Amino acid sequence: MIRTEELLLNVGPQHPSTHGVFRIIVKLDGEIITEATPVMGYLHRGTEKLAENLNYTQIIPYTDRMDYVSAMTNNYVLVHAVEKMMGLEVPERAEFLRLIVMELQRVASHLVWWGTYLLDIGALSPFLYAFNDRERILQLFNELCGARLTYNYMRVGGVKWDAPEGWIDKVKDFVRSMYGRLEEYDDLVSGNEIFLSRIKGIGAYDAETAIAYGLSGANLRSTGVKWDLRKNEPYSLYDRFEFDVPVGQNGDCYDRYLVRMAEIRQSLRILEQALEQFPEGGETMGKVPRVIRPPAGEIYVRIESPRGEIGCYIVSKGKAEPYRLKFRRPSFVNLQILPKLLVGESMTNLVTILGGIDIVLGEVDC
Amino acid sequence: MKGTGMLKGLGVTLKTMGSKKVTLKYPDVPIEMPDRFRGIQYFEPDKCIVCNQCARICPTECITLTGKPNPDPEKKGKVIDTFDINFEICILCDLCTEVCPTEAIVMTNNFELAAYSRDDLFKDRDWLYGNNTNVRQDNNNIGAPQRGGAK
Amino acid sequence: MSEEEKPKSPAEANGPEGAAEASERSAESAVEALSTEAAPASGPAAAPEAAPEAPVRRKETDEEKAARRKAALEAREAAKAAAAQAAAKPAPAAGGDAPAADAPPPPPPSPNQPRLDRAVQLLRERVAEDAVLEASINEPNGHLPTIVVKPERWYACAQLFRTHPELGINYLRNVAGVDHETHMEVVYHLLSMDSGHVYAVKVRTDRERPSVPSVTPIWPTANWNEREIYDLLGIDFPGHPDLRRIMMPDDWVGHPLRKDYAPLDPEV
Repeated sequence: MIRTEELLLNVGPQHPSTHGVFRIIVKLDGEIITEATPVMGYLHRGTEKLAENLNYTQIIPYTDRMDYVSAMTNNYVLVHAVEKMMGLEVPERAEFLRLIVMELQRVASHLVWWGTYLLDIGALSPFLYAFNDRERILQLFNELCGARLTYNYMRVGGVKWDAPEGWIDKVKDFVRSMYGRLEEYDDLVSGNEIFLSRIKGIGAYDAETAIAYGLSGANLRSTGVKWDLRKNEPYSLYDRFEFDVPVGQNGDCYDRYLVRMAEIRQSLRILEQALEQFPEGGETMGKVPRVIRPPAGEIYVRIESPRGEIGCYIVSKGKAEPYRLKFRRPSFVNLQILPKLLVGESMTNLVTILGGIDIVLGEVDC
Repeated sequence: MKGTGMLKGLGVTLKTMGSKKVTLKYPDVPIEMPDRFRGIQYFEPDKCIVCNQCARICPTECITLTGKPNPDPEKKGKVIDTFDINFEICILCDLCTEVCPTEAIVMTNNFELAAYSRDDLFKDRDWLYGNNTNVRQDNNNIGAPQRGGAK
Repeated sequence: MSEEEKPKSPAEANGPEGAAEASERSAESAVEALSTEAAPASGPAAAPEAAPEAPVRRKETDEEKAARRKAALEAREAAKAAAAQAAAKPAPAAGGDAPAADAPPPPPPSPNQPRLDRAVQLLRERVAEDAVLEASINEPNGHLPTIVVKPERWYACAQLFRTHPELGINYLRNVAGVDHETHMEVVYHLLSMDSGHVYAVKVRTDRERPSVPSVTPIWPTANWNEREIYDLLGIDFPGHPDLRRIMMPDDWVGHPLRKDYAPLDPEV
């Protein structure tokens, strides 16, 4: 007599494919998952609690470390929130620099996602291709602000560094060459039969579910909902540029893949336009009071980070430190759908689905 | 025809096989960092006026310093006595150089700080004074005199 | 703390700050938002002064700010009492009957005021007369309608937000818990994807045994958000399917984000 029983498998915190220290407790019946419980908090560093004792300029390095793959957007959300609360104006050159840097960051972040996603699925070489291109972006950032990952670049009222000599031309060269590289990536991966059979139809959900679960970013757009904060609730200078919002249909991993690849193309398009319209001269810092003390009140701003909608909620009591600073992290909210998607799936698809959601643990835990 | 996708991919791989290598031979060959790179700090005690701005702005509170009254009875002001940076928690964020009014503390382009024991990471004033290779030239200290970053 | 509709003081009453037209204005206007009727100490007498240089002006700003804030506090109490009664009525558009020197004219009504009133009216009709405690517009935040709701009525209000065709909130953006020292508060930011309208709803609860009905059955987004708030602040959410700690280890004692949190073991 064969007796079957349920197996409790621990996709443990140390795992090469969980994109960080993340644990999933999976109940298996053979190879089919019957229940999945995510456990997180291994990277919880208490940013929100620490922020209650720091003034806003000191919090900016901490925001870098939340979503470390896409640090510029984190910087921006905090700085934008404080500027909105205080009603500060940012000079145009600074705003252009911010936008260029954020779009470059979006390309870099999607490249990391692409490389690691394919690595999880089993294709080893696209990882290095992606990181080669990302290295060029990081070199550009290194020349601009002195760091490759945790930039600490934006300040309340502007940016810290101006673009050095020749930097804009280097970015233009990069954008031009990146178009060709994207073609290569498509040739390399997007037509591959093994890849398609592993990705198509996996982890599908519909638009209703996506909206109910509060998904954002490519996860939401892959179901057909055309919602991009750069277009629907424009911030910074995005309303000056022309770009499309790629939308999928089925809400499965393949559509998420296509949406993100198309987003890289659209980011390159925005970059081209922004570099053309880049102002000749201008300040990099606006008129900012000596001590940054927003008036009492509260504010919630949100921007489109590569992972989705990142929001910053600040309650201020008129002091130099925030009374309560909360970040609405896209990876945290997007990850809620994981237990639902995994039920009934084969164990082999766990990593595919998890990678398709595109999480960064620094953001999930904050 | 089935299989064309894989053949196309193979074409890309073969093409890349013949192109130039992009890897660097670090650590055999040292890396050239751009000038603005934020590495370990370099400290000049003569320029320091003990204003304490760097210790106050540091987000992780890794700078501790003490001053003593100027030994020269003519001049006023303090002179730096001890200046320690705890590199276990320094995040090389560059805020201390941003607010220093005299550019007494600047970043260098060195970043290799690995040590065999944690105590070696607590660098004092003399070590920081001796760390004077690859000092950064472009120090945009926008935080000095207009913005003090007071707590 | 949500902002009431604040009068935009005319340039004259601002004193030296109003004289120039630099971007200081935007900084000032945010501070202006605090003061209601109170004219700054210098008042119109300082208006004819020529614009001083930048550093001097900034120093005055700090002092002005302090004085203004104190006056704003008193004015805000008065305005809050008045606004709470007249929450459904929009503020008078014009009508600075007082001379400019004494009181600045009331502000123009916010463009979202009609939407706020309609929402409050719906809540009052469909849920309960006493459901809404306060309603205001948060101007710096893009004129966000902010409603304070009683915790007992919150679940019914949330259902109304979800199902009513005029409100149609299908996307819960953000759930945040705040520990004010006297009470605790949970703030919900709601979005209707079809119309693009946003609302902010706050639910206040006391500090001893804080409890807010969970809205997870209505918007599944709230699931982990509420778990995080429970973990870090200790607010209980009856009705939540699985309320346990999410960030801290399961056997942690205490709620770290509270203002009076003292770790059991300081070394950890």
